[in-house]
Amino acid sequence: MAILYFFLALFLAAPAAAIDANQLLKQVDRNLAPASYEMYRKLINIEPNGRKKEFVLFSVKKGKDKVAALFLSPASDKGRSTLRVEDNMWLYIPNVAKPVRITSLQSVVGGVFNNSDILQLDYADEYDAIKLEDQGKEYLLHLKARTKTVAYDQLRMWVDKEKVSPTRIECLTEASMLIKTLYFKDIKDFGAGIVRPAVVETDSPLYKGFKSVMMFANVRVRDFPDEVFTLTFMPKLESLRQGQ
Amino acid sequence: MITQIFSLRRLLLSFLIFFYAGVLSAEDFAFDLSEIEKKPYSFGGFIEFRPVLFGLDREAAFYRLRYFDQDQKNIRDEYNLGLRLEGSYEKGAAGVYFRTDSTLGYDDQDWNDDTVLGEGYLSLKPATGFSVNAGKRVVPWGKGYAFNPAAFVSRPKDIDDPTEALEGFYLIDADIIKSYDGPLKTLAFTPVILPVTDDLNDDFGEADHLNFAAKLYLLFRDTDLDFMFFTGASRTTRYGFDFSRNIGTNFEVHGEAAWITDFEKQNIDSQGRLTTETADILQALFGIRYLTANDITYIVEYYHNGGGIEVDDAENFYEFVDRAYDRFLAAGDSSQLARAAQLSRGTLAASRPMRDYFYFRASIKEPFDILYVTPAITSIVNLNDQSLSLTPELAYTPITNLDIRLRGAFLTGARQTEFGEKQNDYRLELRVRYYF
Repeated sequence: MAILYFFLALFLAAPAAAIDANQLLKQVDRNLAPASYEMYRKLINIEPNGRKKEFVLFSVKKGKDKVAALFLSPASDKGRSTLRVEDNMWLYIPNVAKPVRITSLQSVVGGVFNNSDILQLDYADEYDAIKLEDQGKEYLLHLKARTKTVAYDQLRMWVDKEKVSPTRIECLTEASMLIKTLYFKDIKDFGAGIVRPAVVETDSPLYKGFKSVMMFANVRVRDFPDEVFTLTFMPKLESLRQGQ
Repeated sequence: MITQIFSLRRLLLSFLIFFYAGVLSAEDFAFDLSEIEKKPYSFGGFIEFRPVLFGLDREAAFYRLRYFDQDQKNIRDEYNLGLRLEGSYEKGAAGVYFRTDSTLGYDDQDWNDDTVLGEGYLSLKPATGFSVNAGKRVVPWGKGYAFNPAAFVSRPKDIDDPTEALEGFYLIDADIIKSYDGPLKTLAFTPVILPVTDDLNDDFGEADHLNFAAKLYLLFRDTDLDFMFFTGASRTTRYGFDFSRNIGTNFEVHGEAAWITDFEKQNIDSQGRLTTETADILQALFGIRYLTANDITYIVEYYHNGGGIEVDDAENFYEFVDRAYDRFLAAGDSSQLARAAQLSRGTLAASRPMRDYFYFRASIKEPFDILYVTPAITSIVNLNDQSLSLTPELAYTPITNLDIRLRGAFLTGARQTEFGEKQNDYRLELRVRYYF
């Protein structure tokens, strides 16, 4: 009978932990950004000798599956835009042609960030939390991609218990090989209840000595019509920007 | 002497400042809000220097057609300066946009210059899902990277540089977009009106006609689908279709087809006579884009041009040029060469004039951890006569907004083949472009 109780407890405990972990993941998502928003980001690729290349982007997101970004600088990239609807991604280059499909593992900016980092959806929409570890001041969430189309098969996410905000995320392949690590820094109040890290740094064993940094500004709740997130609207994203 | 040393030091200092302007401590990050300030206007462009060296093939048909009455030479060089200006101004739902390209070139001991309005139009966006544009505009249709048979209202791409901006046509177009939940996520309709007169769009087709085109776009079950249509008296009626879909995180497939009614297929006989026959033809392509684990991107396309010149007709043309050249050498009579040059226009001098082509491009991003360096190799194969071009290139962005590209194009093929009869055996090109 004791053995039966043990297995019953184990059977019931496992899903309970998973549910808690997924709820925690959803809370992390909401603390990182509202479900629908606009924001500005600066991406900085830093070479081992300290030389850097910067990009400034205006990004908009709606719900769980639509996100778009417009390059504001440098001049050589100004006007480019990227769009993601679920797992579909496109790149539009002004003057050149119609938007072309791109894949999540490519990078339109070079450096350590790839397209899925730039056009990121909520973690909870792409990953299942399969394990939760209590590590004192932090939780460690083990996440598994829901589908094969997600850029990283596994994530290990360290979450600050007090702020319910990630401090570090390791991105791994299916074979548990580390692709890159994201470090979340400089918690900042963006207003309207949005308190999140203002800086995300990343490095990768695949790019030894290189580092990429993403900085956030003017993160605001904003709703958009669905038509904004279409190929036809990609050349017109600039019209969404408002005076700062 | 002291002044000279001082000047040298100042020069060295300027040099160091120029090359290390972007070097800062890795921790020295700043996000100045002035960088994201919204302005009603924008202005930018680039300046470009592009010297080109051509290795000429003195036995080739197109060399003879161009240089038959000039001093014979093995190489030719040209130097090109380019300036692109583009800008926009927005007020409320209205905006104006322009793009101009100016070139100054030195070629065969002659200077030439040109300025082209690439685009210049007025745009009205009364609602997110509705906009209207009027003016000179590029309306790019189709999913092909190197070929776009279904781009019914735009000029053909330069296959040697398919990502370069095109010159538009004067037209009125609109976009009507609707989004949905469910398998059909997006529906967009783009009607186009394109007039042709003696002064407007005169290179599009027959003058004094109003032409109509339209495209219906669907994002259906994660697949891009387009259906196109063109009708009007300037060109014959044609129907188009394309698709594109990601079938993995690193694999995209696309295809495009155009059915052109009453197309005038051209035939050339052994006497250099051009005849045409009218038929409905199919132009189609299928392609993939694939990214490997070590960051090599492959773009591969097969293109079938149902209206292209047949191998026998191409051989007839090249034989006609040979005889015309022999006649010029023997009797100084260039009339047949002039006729051959006339014949080549619209046939074998056109871009990809024959039936079946294979396009291949492989580029590797930042190999050996060298940031901002992208080597690539491109090949275009004429599958009908087995001639081909091979183009290795190296692109480098040493500092922000400065793009440097070095490329060579090597043409190979037997006599009486497309690439074997081009005027060049090879071409070396440096392009230095600074954006502002």
